[in-house]
Parts: sequence; C-alpha cells; structure tokens
Amino acid sequence: MNRSIFLSIATFLLMTVAVYGQTSEKLVSSKSNIKFFSTTPAEDIEANNTASVSTINIESGEVVFSVPMQGFEFEKSLMQKHYNSDKFLDTKTHPKAKLKATILNLDQVNFSEDGSYSADVEGELTIKDVTKPIREKGTITVKGNQIALNSIFNITLADFQITFAKGKPSSNIAKKLEITVEAEYEQN
Amino acid sequence: MKRKKVLKIVAILGVAGILIAGGIGLYMFNMPHRDVQSADADYTLTASEIVSEYFTDNEAANKKYLAADGDSKILEITGVVSKISEDFSGQKVVLLKGEQVKAGVSATFTSETNSSLDNVQIDQKITIKGVIRSGASYDDDLEMYEHVIIEKSDIVLK
Repeated sequence: MNRSIFLSIATFLLMTVAVYGQTSEKLVSSKSNIKFFSTTPAEDIEANNTASVSTINIESGEVVFSVPMQGFEFEKSLMQKHYNSDKFLDTKTHPKAKLKATILNLDQVNFSEDGSYSADVEGELTIKDVTKPIREKGTITVKGNQIALNSIFNITLADFQITFAKGKPSSNIAKKLEITVEAEYEQN
Repeated sequence: MKRKKVLKIVAILGVAGILIAGGIGLYMFNMPHRDVQSADADYTLTASEIVSEYFTDNEAANKKYLAADGDSKILEITGVVSKISEDFSGQKVVLLKGEQVKAGVSATFTSETNSSLDNVQIDQKITIKGVIRSGASYDDDLEMYEHVIIEKSDIVLK
C-alpha cells in the first residue's frame, strides 16, 4: 500500500518535472554546426556536425549540447573511419558527447533586447566518457525572437585520453583541436 | 650476362611493386564515402519500433545498429510526418513519429534529395532510407527526449 502511494507520488513528481521542462524559459536549438579543425605541417583536417541538440535555460544560464559523434563528416572517407574507430573516438561505444555549462555573467545578457553579448561559460565537457572542466568565452546574439550562440575554443586530445602511439594519425593530427560552435535557438 | 638479366627482372618487379603499393595507398586515401542511397537497407522498421527498441535497451540497440568505423546500419523507416524543418547547412529535416509521442526519428536529407520532400505534408505517412547516427533516449541535462538521428536520407517510394 505504502509502496503504491510512493510510486504514484513519484510518478506525479516526474510528470511535473517533465512538464516544467517544457516551459518557455528554455531555448532549444536543433540548428547548429560544430566544426573541429586540426592543422599540422602534413595536412589540415576539418569535420562538421549539424545533428546536435542544444538548450539554454535563460533563467539559470545553463547551456547544454548533446552531440551525436557519428555525425561528424570528413572530406575523406578514410579519415572518417579512423576518427570513428576504437583507436580514436570509439563512437560505437560512446555515441554521444556532452557539454554542460553555465553562463557566469548571466546578468549581462539580456535575452529580450537585441544586441550582441559576450558570455563567460564554465562547466564540463564529456567526450568518450572522460569529463573535463572547461571555461570558455562565447557570444550570444539576440535579434527579435532569434537567439544565436557562437564560440571558438581549443581542446587538447590527450585530456580525453585520445592518443596515438604511432602511425600516420600521430603525425597528421594536431594535439590540440580548434572547435567552432554555432547554434540558432528558438523560443520554445 | 645472366646476372644482368636477373637484376633487370628484380628491378622491374620492384618498380611494379612500388606502383601497386602506391596505387592501393592512393585508392585508400581517396576512397569515396559510402553511397547510402544505392546500398540495400539492413533493416526495415517503423519509427515507433526503433524508438521503443532504444527505450528498452539503449546499449543493445547501439550494438545492433552502430558500426565501429562509422558506416552504421542503413535503415528504412516508416512513420507519420510531424515536422519538416531545415538544419544549419540548409538541408531538410523531417521528424517521423509513431504512436509513441515522446520521441521520433529525425531524418536529415541531402542537397541531392531535399526536393523529394517538396510535396510531403504534415501527418502524411512516408518511408525514408538513411544511415543511423545515434539512438533515442531521455536526456536529463537537456530535459528533453532525443530522437533517433538518421542522415543522408531520401524517401523510398512504395
């Protein structure tokens, strides 16, 4: 008896949370591009991913990106195979990467007034099940109902235990990658 | 005289070997991407079937559908169109849903296939073919259900 009461309360709470999550303080983006760029004397490598989902909570300043790792597209098919393989990103075992961060200077960003705002973002980036703290700068652009987020930052592959002992990838892929994030949000 | 002949053969074989190895290397380096639309589908199913498969056992579904080299399974999925939008690079994205309303299948088309969606209406039942990139699940941080993501899609005429 107690158990069923507990269960129904839990269900009710979960439903409340689910409904609450849908409210308008959350901006949702399914229109984004995440690019990574690696440059070495041997070659430049670039890959783009337009399949991510992102949210910004304009009350709490929380920014989330969920990135389907197999969505990165390379010019060369062989590079894409290397990237996905268990020696590199192991995307079969870890199909998603996640950024979960907070806008520190939220009081300086006015989501209801047109303009361009610099945002300090601090949080965690999880790639291949390795979570590392990050602190980066981004720009939030407000134009009417449209809100855009842009950021360029570097990540060090070794931080996420992505390393190459030998072979071509070790000389042709930079130890640090430049990540460019562009996302357009709509008011939910 | 005999020794000269042997050397000549060795030299020809050596050059041929280098050319073949170089050719294979060049072929590997320039190997084209897999053409998803001309390949046969690995599985044919409905939008609600694949979503519930991911809800039941995410790990097992990833094992079944995702490939280690990124050339994951090619799926033919039937569902009801609930939204048509565009992604960041201007490709059409169609959201297919079944009776299960929480999550669906988000299929991104290509510059060659976008026009297949020209006459497609909301609530219409269609079948698409494409490569799976990731599965459906509830994400605690987004506080949203994530759809199954399919790319390189086109409509399959039945």
